[in-house]
Amino acid sequence: MPPIKNLNDVMVGLVLIAISVFALVLAWPLKPGTLDAMGPGFFPRSLAVIEIGFGLAIIAQGMLKEGSPFERWFPRQIFFVLASIGFFAATIDRLGSVVAVMGTVLVSCLARRETRPIEAVLVAAGMAAFVVLVFRVGLGLPLRIWPWGYVY
Amino acid sequence: MDSFVSLFHGFSIALQPANLLYCLIGTLVGTLIGVLPGIGPLSAIAILLPITFYLEPVSALIMLAGIYYGAQYGGSTSAILLNLPGENSSVVTCLDGHQMARKGRAGPALAVAALASLFAGVFATLVITLFAPPISQLALMFGPAEYFSLMVLGLIAAIVLAHGSVLKALGMIVLGLLLGCVGTDVDSGALRMAFGIPGLFDGIGFIPLAMGLFGVGEIIRNIENGHHQSVMQTKVRDLWPSREDFRRSWPAATRGTFIGCILGILPGGGAMLSSFAAYTFEKKVSKQPERFGKGAVEGVAAPEAANNAGAQTSFIPLLTLGIPSNALMALMAGALLIHGIQPGPRVITNNPEIFWGLIASMFVGNLLLVVINLPLIGLWTQLLRVPYHLFYPMILVFCCIGVFTVNNSVLDVMLLMVFGFFGYMFIKWHCEPAPLLLAFVLGPLMEENLRRAMQVSYGDPAIFVTRPISAVLLAVAAGCLVLVLLPAFRRTREVAFQEES
Repeated sequence: MPPIKNLNDVMVGLVLIAISVFALVLAWPLKPGTLDAMGPGFFPRSLAVIEIGFGLAIIAQGMLKEGSPFERWFPRQIFFVLASIGFFAATIDRLGSVVAVMGTVLVSCLARRETRPIEAVLVAAGMAAFVVLVFRVGLGLPLRIWPWGYVY
Repeated sequence: MDSFVSLFHGFSIALQPANLLYCLIGTLVGTLIGVLPGIGPLSAIAILLPITFYLEPVSALIMLAGIYYGAQYGGSTSAILLNLPGENSSVVTCLDGHQMARKGRAGPALAVAALASLFAGVFATLVITLFAPPISQLALMFGPAEYFSLMVLGLIAAIVLAHGSVLKALGMIVLGLLLGCVGTDVDSGALRMAFGIPGLFDGIGFIPLAMGLFGVGEIIRNIENGHHQSVMQTKVRDLWPSREDFRRSWPAATRGTFIGCILGILPGGGAMLSSFAAYTFEKKVSKQPERFGKGAVEGVAAPEAANNAGAQTSFIPLLTLGIPSNALMALMAGALLIHGIQPGPRVITNNPEIFWGLIASMFVGNLLLVVINLPLIGLWTQLLRVPYHLFYPMILVFCCIGVFTVNNSVLDVMLLMVFGFFGYMFIKWHCEPAPLLLAFVLGPLMEENLRRAMQVSYGDPAIFVTRPISAVLLAVAAGCLVLVLLPAFRRTREVAFQEES
């Protein structure tokens, strides 16, 4: 196997192929229909096939052509930022916006080592107050504020 | 002259106190995010999109548009004072603007940037007034085949003018189209690739997709490398440019405006492309090209005029043909769709208040921006001291709450997380996600028109080449694709984008 010249492209190609194979599997039960009366399966299926072609071409390009160097990933930042969104999703319905917003801020602050805890807590409290005042009181959206009580 | 009568009607809408307020908010937010590096108009609009759900459609659009062209103004401020482009389209303003600031002429540089933008803004508004109605008339003659070809052209052109690998851009487009397929099929009612999750029956939400790819992905990217800011202490005095500055900059601003107007209309065009093209052009026509990069006032006037003009005229394809020409316009299309308005030729006739109100608001907004920017410049530079490490958690909260409140859907917040990861991945692998968003918006329309066209022709694909307008559109699309693959053009394209990085 020749050395890979541009790992970025190869990775993009692999991901695209993986996604389109997955899409193809999902779209398989859908009827493709005929050209003059296309069924629900026609468009997704043809797109998935085209995408596999592009994916292969992108991999080939990555094998043959030099490109920008592969960049390092930062697991800490990725994890805590995504986790903060996950925390929000897990808590907003049951525990209300105060818990969800404060948690989101605190978890996302963990992404950077330099952030001082006191700063994080202040921002968290400020954001929680802001969100409740603007979205619940101001705009009147059906947001739960505390873990207890009713939404409306 | 009808157009001008309608424009007056538009002013009566834009000048209503509430709309004036939203225009002001939009331009203020735009200036703010323009000044702050690390958050561009794309992510800001994606983040604010859910809030506009609670506004009148006109007010929503006025505010979002204000953010877009406001960001062009704000971007120039940090470019000139800090040599730090607040957003992409002011990268070239750094070159000469910051040099002027170093020579103690920050004031005139800022003033020239603001005045050139004002001129371009007013001119671009007139261009929209004159050209949009006839184009929409033309578009009313379009059948499904023409629409399909037009969208193919829009997507292909977006690749030519975007940077990076053509193949990867094509891959992103098809991925966007695929994502657009998720949900209930309009014709048969069959569920497609929805995993049986009720939240996906209406398709993947546009807001979590846009916000994840552009907002969350960029946040992770920004905090990973420290993001240090160095604030240069410049006292801004003597705002007013000298007579010499005026003499040099007005022709440059005029040329920049023209370039911006034309490139803004093109699919794939917009503010960023316009400013680069204008700067390069100005350097070419100048009698003393050696002055560029050393504080030439033309080098500030031309790109600033061009990016503002381009930002505004890029509304033309959206509002007349229903085809967003870049990712930002795709967001605007999303904003319209949220309110149940299908962007396209019928907007002018069915929702004249939206069309003309928006255009008149651009007039008003540009005047507001000069007022906001010049006297308050000190305030904006102070804002640059807000440390990003306290700022990004706030943005994240806005993302989450914004996504959640649209449908009260936890699933959408999960999707935000997933697409956030994808956004980061694509940034890391040097893969521009903008075409994906564009394709995602166009996808369902494209499929619908493809199906209808094939029904009309009894399954004969020749319909796309036998109908003249459709054939021309497809030929242009093919031409673009050939052009981008030609080695000579490829080289110039790469050089053009190199100046940027």
